[in-house]
Amino acid sequence: MSQWRVGVDSGGTFTDICLFDSRAGRVEVWKVASTPDDPSRGIAQAVEEGMRRVASDTERPAAAVVYFGHGTTVATNALIQHRGVKTGLITTDGFRDLLEIGRQKRPDLYDLHADKPLTLVPRDLRLEVPERVRHTGEIDRPLDEERMRAAARDLKVAGVRAVAVSFLYGFVRPEHEKRAVEILREELPDAFISAGHEVAPEFREYERLSTVVLNAYLGPVMEGYVRNLSPRLEGLGMTVAPHLTQSNGGVIGFSTAADLPVRTVLSGPSTGVVGAQAIGALAGFDDLITFDMGGTSTDVALLQGGRCGLATEATVHGYPIKAPMLDIHTVGAGGGSIAYIDAGGLLKVGPRSSGADPGPVCYDKGNSEPAVTDANVVLQTLNPQHLLGGRMPIRQDLAKAAVGRLADQLGLGLMETAQGILSVVTGNMARAIRVISVQRGHDPRDYTLMAFGGAGPLHAARLARELEIGRVLVPANPGILCAMGLLMTDLRADFSVTRLLPAAERSADAVAAAFAALEERAERWFERESIAVPARRLVRSVDMRYHGQNYELSVPVPAGAITQATMRALAAGFADAHRQRYGFATDDDPVQLVTLRVEAIGVVQKAELKAQPDGGPDASAAIVGRRPVWLPEAGDFVATPIYAREALRAGNRFAGPAVVEQMDATTLVPPGMTARVDAWLNLVLETAA
Amino acid sequence: MNQVADPARAGNLDPITIEVIGAALASIVDETGETLIRASHSTNIKERRDCSTALFNAAGETLCQAEHIPIHLGSFIDLVPHIMRRYRVEDMRPGDAFIGNDAYSGGGTHLPDIVLAEPIFIDDRLAAWTVNLAHHADFVDRGHAHIYQEGLRIPPVRLYRAGELQSDVQDLILLNCQVPAERLSDLRAQMAANRVGVQRFRALAAKYGTGTVLGAGEALMDYAERKMRAAIAALPDGTWRFADVFDNEEVAEALPLSVEVTVKGDQMWLAFDAPDQLRAGVNMTYTALLATVYYVVKSVLDPGILPNAGLARPLTVTAREGSLLNCKHPAAVNGRLQTCQRVADLVLGALAQAIPERVMACSNSACTVAYFIGERPENGKLWVYLETIGGGSGARADKDGLDGVHVHTTNTSNLPVEALEPEYPLLVSRYELVADSGGVGQFRGGMGLRRVYQATHECRVRVDLSRQRSQSWGLFGAGPGAHGKVEAGPGVTFNGDSAVLKPGQWFALVTPGAGGFGPPAKRDRAAVARDLAEGVITSATAREAYRRDG
Repeated sequence: MSQWRVGVDSGGTFTDICLFDSRAGRVEVWKVASTPDDPSRGIAQAVEEGMRRVASDTERPAAAVVYFGHGTTVATNALIQHRGVKTGLITTDGFRDLLEIGRQKRPDLYDLHADKPLTLVPRDLRLEVPERVRHTGEIDRPLDEERMRAAARDLKVAGVRAVAVSFLYGFVRPEHEKRAVEILREELPDAFISAGHEVAPEFREYERLSTVVLNAYLGPVMEGYVRNLSPRLEGLGMTVAPHLTQSNGGVIGFSTAADLPVRTVLSGPSTGVVGAQAIGALAGFDDLITFDMGGTSTDVALLQGGRCGLATEATVHGYPIKAPMLDIHTVGAGGGSIAYIDAGGLLKVGPRSSGADPGPVCYDKGNSEPAVTDANVVLQTLNPQHLLGGRMPIRQDLAKAAVGRLADQLGLGLMETAQGILSVVTGNMARAIRVISVQRGHDPRDYTLMAFGGAGPLHAARLARELEIGRVLVPANPGILCAMGLLMTDLRADFSVTRLLPAAERSADAVAAAFAALEERAERWFERESIAVPARRLVRSVDMRYHGQNYELSVPVPAGAITQATMRALAAGFADAHRQRYGFATDDDPVQLVTLRVEAIGVVQKAELKAQPDGGPDASAAIVGRRPVWLPEAGDFVATPIYAREALRAGNRFAGPAVVEQMDATTLVPPGMTARVDAWLNLVLETAA
Repeated sequence: MNQVADPARAGNLDPITIEVIGAALASIVDETGETLIRASHSTNIKERRDCSTALFNAAGETLCQAEHIPIHLGSFIDLVPHIMRRYRVEDMRPGDAFIGNDAYSGGGTHLPDIVLAEPIFIDDRLAAWTVNLAHHADFVDRGHAHIYQEGLRIPPVRLYRAGELQSDVQDLILLNCQVPAERLSDLRAQMAANRVGVQRFRALAAKYGTGTVLGAGEALMDYAERKMRAAIAALPDGTWRFADVFDNEEVAEALPLSVEVTVKGDQMWLAFDAPDQLRAGVNMTYTALLATVYYVVKSVLDPGILPNAGLARPLTVTAREGSLLNCKHPAAVNGRLQTCQRVADLVLGALAQAIPERVMACSNSACTVAYFIGERPENGKLWVYLETIGGGSGARADKDGLDGVHVHTTNTSNLPVEALEPEYPLLVSRYELVADSGGVGQFRGGMGLRRVYQATHECRVRVDLSRQRSQSWGLFGAGPGAHGKVEAGPGVTFNGDSAVLKPGQWFALVTPGAGGFGPPAKRDRAAVARDLAEGVITSATAREAYRRDG
């Protein structure tokens, strides 16, 4: 009997499913419309329909599923749309308004009409209790348990469904927070309770407070989602525990996700990074910049040696979150972004988008402002008659008229303007990529650009040229890369603790003890996820800084027992990292260890794509026609061969200019680049030598 | 030997290249700023982000300023011309770095803002300058009768010569600082930031050609100018006047300040009137006035205008030399931010008469500061800490003002209590919004803040605030914001603006609220009920100002 490993990517428009038969090595994909009001319906439908196509058991189609992983936008959407639950907050006396004050910065430096993001707990549900701990851990004022209980009762009367607790220095000495949680559980047994020392045990009280409040606010939403999805999958006969991706790209079990929903706000985009990572590893490219361009936004990330950097803190939709998150940068520009001329006479693109409805002008659904897609239709880099493999007719004449209106205002030709729209959007994308590469000290020229999402493959070569990147990789199924990636990744969780220690030999014992405690937590997680001992991996690192700095650099910890030699190696590693980042290192200031981190990896059996037999270099059998495509290199239309992606065979090679069409994406190979198909049917574009 | 590189003719560049280079310049100043913050040691930079970065062309015009602190532009505007007056380009070398802070010979606006400027040479020609400013938390507990009391005046001098540290210059500066170790670490961070600026600018020039990058820089200034002119031209022609007073601990009586704003076609004139400069730290240099006006006009007319020198061209700003708003040597300037905030609000008050829907009511109109100095109990070394506290922001024509934020020309973060207490012998016992501090109105003014400090070891404190006697005005029938004030705990006596705190003693700073917009009678009843439920207003205010019972 077949054993199916299943990955599901639940997006805003479509729910994609990728099914992999681990015995036969066969991959199947399926797509259904998403159900944003209750995403679990769409997911269950995708599983049911997908499995019925491959499995014989029609009563229990999901019985043959041996692994289920998915990426979800449930937490993100609840945050964006403010659909979390009524939440109460308990703080140290004198600090309830911190949630609203934040870092006292206004939302925009110059815009007098900008507003702060909505404060998720209104002032009357933010209650203060007498207690105070000092930074040394000394108790300045004990917790007033009676006042604490009275506050819990007030919140119960107010009808809150979740409560956050965050006291000053709760990460140094959590006993007040722990006692507050006990009292809250006694008084509000049905509420979701979340405490600072559990969710984000690190300094900077506002960012920790924001994180724990978000966790409480989203907690019942995520619980409800898990409660809805689990029985649906069980009803289809599925017997394995479902998993989902966290913002750190690690896949975890449902119960862990339900406790820490704040760690899943980037679950969706991080799934794409995980997919890119897996495909890149298979194809032999470890240094990647991912370029996931959709209709309204684009996510970019950088993978060095097959790994994406982890930010320990980021601001998501206006709310600071202290949680490990892949360093993914999002820009508000995609295929649907609208081009316009601003008051100063410059061409601008986005962030306004024509969306899916009405969509670009060429969809003929009532929009008259040209979008990026319209520019491509005018240039005929996109098929000027129809898209989606013929299922959607389009109107090139309308696109031309719309771009032409901009051209008249700019005093440029129609084609130059269309190409200009692409240049501006490419510039925006390049700036986003510089944020995650150049600004972090990485030279983009050392990386391969992996393009996916609906619009990524079409713009990737131009973007690569802008950044002087020499190679672009377009996976076989750029539209379902996220779902596929879920089947190609291990389980992962991160554990960390803040311990301010000198980076000196005398700290070796304390460091060893702290790592031992973290590793014990990791082992417990391995047990919970039922990961066999030989499949367990641990990776250690330390965030370090000069005494006096407040930002750290991550330094890997050498393997083996922590000894005085380890401490010397850490100090040397930090000096190197500081010199590389800031151009100097100094002996004047002592070096500190700040946060110790352990990454736990549970190696699981992954979907293994089979290498395809070499079909020889001749790609001419895949040519389905030619059309004139306007190319800036020629300044004119050039008759360009059109290749059908599904007809390309491993080993095929061809030179640009060329256009490769497939159902859900179009790839442009500009002049001066060559394309080859690798053994896994990835399309690899390279700058001709 | 060295000459200045020429820009390409702006007319020869296409709009797309200009746009792409503009984005690249913006990302360079963002990156230098991030480098400065991350490498720095003082709480004022690493957490409060009281610093700015910019790129200038060889003529000293701003190519791009990062979005940090608007008033810092005042220190940048005249810096490069001051350097060029003192030193010949022929004598400059790659790796030279100039340090300066002086208000009268270095283009600065107050002495703690120390600027580091490095010329960028490409093919032996001066192409541009990378510049950054860090507010060093030093020069405190001095006097403010004239600038000689306020700290060390540094004209632009070389701190590095062709990449070599001039340690004699550095030693001279550090000896005049109260916390030299911290100054040294922050200066290194400033150098690291400029190093990044030089590298990135050179890479950009290598890619597009120096002439193209500089040409694009000029085109971007022209572009900012066009946008500014278009925005001014969209205003009705006319002249509008507005007056307010300035008051704080340093001045005996309320000082009248006024502005006359004239719009004609695509140009704007702003003529300020103020009393003579004072023997107090509240005087503004002309560059501080310019930076303030550029900030407020851009904010009202088009927040999206690029922050470069082009936006200034349609504006004419005047104030009598020797007055509070255009002071001359030897006026003291340390607390100029209080005055700058009032100037920004004056301009809003004048423009409210022309375009009420686009302005806001008076902000808290202050930059409330606490300066602490003491000896470390463990080693007797001096410690210095300063922080600024936000307040109310003015109500808008269609919504309430923001509560507890930094407004106008300043934009620093607070310091987390969990970062403050481990570094300084202080305890923060409350940090909260102040009920009834926002001016009543159809749209409520933003609320002020209250921050309570307790000393754990003896130290001295000095406060700098405003609006203790006057109030931030509302617009169109709305009420004013509440006063700013100092609350002294038992045993604490403020002598003017200063006090000694013994261990366990406390004081509180209360920052002003902002003005409302529109008559209170027109406020939405549900909004009044919500404010009352949340304790934003008291029941007395609900009853008296909004006629709500219960």
